[in-house]
Amino acid sequence: MGASAETVLFWIFAVPLIASAAGVVAARNPVHAAMSLVSAFFWLAGIYVLLTAHLLAFVQVIVYAGAIMVLFLFVVMLLSLTDAELGLEKLSALKWVGVVGAAGMLVLVVSALAQSGPRAMRAVGADFGTVRAVGRILFTQYLLPFEATSVLLLVAIVGAVVVAKEKI
Amino acid sequence: MKRFVGMWLVIGAVLVGLVGLFAAFYALAALGAQAAVALGFPGFFGSSIVNAITLMAVTLMTVAALLTVAERKWSAAMQDRIGANRILVGGKFPLGGVPYLLADALKMLTKESTFPVARSKFLFELAPVLAFSPTFALFAVVPVGPEVRVLGQQVGMWVASPDAGLLWVFALAGLSVYGTTLAGWASNSRVGMLGAVRASAQMISYEVSLGMSLVGVMIAYKTVNLQAMAIAQGVDVIGPIPAIGLLLQPLGFLVFFTSSFAETKRAPFDLPEGESEIVGYFLEYSGMKFGLLFLAEFVEVVILGAITAAVFLGGWHPIFFEGWLKAHLDPVLFGAVCAAAFLAKVIFLTWLQLIIRWLLPRFRYDQIQALCWKLLLPGAIVNVFVTGAAVLADPSLELLAWIGVVEIVAIFGITLAVARPKGAHAGHDAGDAHGHAAHAAGH
Repeated sequence: MGASAETVLFWIFAVPLIASAAGVVAARNPVHAAMSLVSAFFWLAGIYVLLTAHLLAFVQVIVYAGAIMVLFLFVVMLLSLTDAELGLEKLSALKWVGVVGAAGMLVLVVSALAQSGPRAMRAVGADFGTVRAVGRILFTQYLLPFEATSVLLLVAIVGAVVVAKEKI
Repeated sequence: MKRFVGMWLVIGAVLVGLVGLFAAFYALAALGAQAAVALGFPGFFGSSIVNAITLMAVTLMTVAALLTVAERKWSAAMQDRIGANRILVGGKFPLGGVPYLLADALKMLTKESTFPVARSKFLFELAPVLAFSPTFALFAVVPVGPEVRVLGQQVGMWVASPDAGLLWVFALAGLSVYGTTLAGWASNSRVGMLGAVRASAQMISYEVSLGMSLVGVMIAYKTVNLQAMAIAQGVDVIGPIPAIGLLLQPLGFLVFFTSSFAETKRAPFDLPEGESEIVGYFLEYSGMKFGLLFLAEFVEVVILGAITAAVFLGGWHPIFFEGWLKAHLDPVLFGAVCAAAFLAKVIFLTWLQLIIRWLLPRFRYDQIQALCWKLLLPGAIVNVFVTGAAVLADPSLELLAWIGVVEIVAIFGITLAVARPKGAHAGHDAGDAHGHAAHAAGH
């Protein structure tokens, strides 16, 4: 595939990604915001595939779109809170703090990118991003962080059960 | 007797027809590959696009559409009725009820589209699409046939073969929750919402055991690519018996089949759509929007059959007489035979699902959750550890195969042990005789 085709595909994924990310912030209805986030994950997965990180793309859809966002949506739908209950009116001051923070972040990222300048693409091996390659790195080089994350998740599961059940 | 012979003749004719059909599909895919090469692209671009049309748009959708009729006919057969036969082509031939397909399509397309006023406009329209498209796209990674050389091009009978094939299955199965959930929520109806909550709670739960049940298969075949799994299932493990998933992972098969059956939300797992209590998450949908939700269910049935066949029933390997077929047939024809064998397995598994629908009584909701979390999930986790230990001890898989044999014997033993004694079936024989008499009268 030529570089031009890749650029076209990049824009096909990038424009809807930015649009749905903006939708998350702009949507007044929490369910619409949640669905925008799901769509953002989907387009982001497309960009991962362009970077030949297939495994990461699939895992991101499984974990974020397939599991986490479903639970988010579930909670939002069951509660179906109004703006007053969410306390959105009180947030007008916080909103401006958020705008300033986001603008600062944008300046930081743009200046960092401008300083680093254009770089040549690094060629990657044929097995880059495959399940086998990622698995090997995960279970050799990054074994300790991997196991630590497992313990963290286990603690979260036990904690959720303890919180949910009054009597165990 | 005449009917019995006729049945086998029809099955034989269908199998021969499938072989011819897939030979044609291979030729079309090769033409697509040639066209892509002529345009300066890799050959698999063309064959993938052609396969997307022939396998997904034609084969999958035809089987799913025919299933709507097949379900009526099987429901009728299980209840000792004749079933849909009122549409007579040329005033004479009911054609097995197949014309009902066109009648249904016509009805759904022309029906008045009603909708609740207080709906969430965009999401109401989006929900049926979200229910249908992930399930439909799931078929892309299913390897229908082996890779063969046709017209100078190396073509395979699949749309895509990504390295992380099974993860694609999990990802899209996870996305199909949104369709049902949003359908209920966007309708802004209490009853629809109840159905949606039941559906999503059930689907989220069973996704856990679904994912866990396939880990054993991944360990055994050392891959997550479905095509590589299909190839690995052709290797002999105990004498001449090939290492099919059903032999290596009987427990994994049971957990997977049950979990994905629950994912399709069909009886006995049809709590999200009880006619007598809450109707369902699709309560407010009419016309073709309902049709799409309805069709998504049948596509799920076919997909479940396809994934099960690819992972547990030996993929596209015909299994019987495979060596002879491979030695004596033209490679393209052998590929077509393999693809036909795969589709035959898929049709067998869909038929099994139609049977199960009427064999088992409906679960209660707490029973559904208890079955998932207290039986299937621990079973799947035990299966993962046993498989891991067996593969570690004997990488040739022979030990795992013997463990599988023991498991199969144990499953049969337990089933026989908990079966009701003969005396409890007092009315059974009489009912059977009645059934036969009715059938005889039907002839």
